[in-house]
Amino acid sequence: MAKILIVDDSSTVRDEVAGFLKNAGLDVATAVDGKDGLAKLKADPGIKLVVSDVNMPNMDGLTMVEKIRGEMGNSTVNIIMLTTESSPSMKERGKAAGIKGWIVKPFKGDAVLEAFKKLAG
Amino acid sequence: MTDKLLSKVLVLDNSPEYADTIKHFCDENNLAGLKVQKNNLMSVLRSNIDLGAILYSENYGDTPEENAEIAMMIQSVRGELPLILRREKTATLDDLPEELRRVFCAAYVASDMPALRSVIDEYIFCLVYPNALVRGISEITGSVLTSQFKINPTMLTEAPYIVRDRIIFGEVFSLIPLESSWCRGYMMLQTEEQPILDFLELYRPSAEVADFRAANSFLGEVTNLIWGSFKNRYIGDAGSAGSKIQVPLIVNHKHKYISFGTDNPQLCFIYTLVDEASGRTVKLYQRFIFNLNWSPEDFKEITCDVDELVDSGELELF
Repeated sequence: MAKILIVDDSSTVRDEVAGFLKNAGLDVATAVDGKDGLAKLKADPGIKLVVSDVNMPNMDGLTMVEKIRGEMGNSTVNIIMLTTESSPSMKERGKAAGIKGWIVKPFKGDAVLEAFKKLAG
Repeated sequence: MTDKLLSKVLVLDNSPEYADTIKHFCDENNLAGLKVQKNNLMSVLRSNIDLGAILYSENYGDTPEENAEIAMMIQSVRGELPLILRREKTATLDDLPEELRRVFCAAYVASDMPALRSVIDEYIFCLVYPNALVRGISEITGSVLTSQFKINPTMLTEAPYIVRDRIIFGEVFSLIPLESSWCRGYMMLQTEEQPILDFLELYRPSAEVADFRAANSFLGEVTNLIWGSFKNRYIGDAGSAGSKIQVPLIVNHKHKYISFGTDNPQLCFIYTLVDEASGRTVKLYQRFIFNLNWSPEDFKEITCDVDELVDSGELELF
């Protein structure tokens, strides 16, 4: 089964999102920041969708996305940002790095579950 | 909720002759006066951690010596609070001994209460907070707090008020910088640990056993969500381009005291989450401290086309 990687420095958010997706029958992994997310993505080819926060310590979410595209050029992983940010400039930066979508927190799983399943393949 | 900002002041004045004058002044000037008898003073000072100032009478003590002693004790334990002296004859501090003079910030006489209004404006209501900002903060925070639980608890919001206090409420607090072209400072959320854990147990029964880290994480995420909404609504892409000046923040654990390096009054909100069935409550103190820049004349609310709005939780596909 395709796996979804949740990247967020908040354990509250990780637990909430991962719990929701597991209950929906999806396979989920978690990472605590962009650096951890990048490492886990490189190590696990089963990950098909990354759902990531933007503001995180060590490595922010947009930098992580740019590194995924730069260091894993042939990666077909889909990426969605789940963040409190909604500034146009940040979204543009994300789009330029090839993210598929943007969700403004708080996370309301029911509204996006089908899209997650589709993007996770 | 009213847009009018209030402030809580201790009234250390036992004169029956001026009681009505002072009460009327407080009512007229958005002050919640709390009259305190001498024998309760220390416990009131300890339990009221969100004060704006203290109105003190030169006759509060039984003798001039006791009066001076009490004033200096207040200065010692709560020196951050403006201590305003009511005098019988003239509104001056000049004739007081030097060590007593520096304890008070100003003096007034009951026959000239407009002069006291000027003192209150100088020491408490000296920063202007736009109504749209005050109202918006309350809306954002209420929405964030109730969004944290699948079954919404009741939420009570008190009228926003101004504090000069530096005492920390509860055992856990968060701080996050707010940076824009019109403000630079911090938002601080303060709360008690056990009530949060009790609430998490009640509203998130499937979660692992909650320890202090769960309380930390809850407060961190709430802070993050409020900060994000604040940015989206009031800052947008216009971050602070100019000054990068910082000042040290001082936390004194022994005295539960935090200083932001300025005497500026702080904008304070109190929210209480209530579970009606069990009676459990969580109280959160939220403070805004614009210690590095405050230019409300440049404040603006970000507006965007309805077409550009995406509800929180919705996926905006690219």
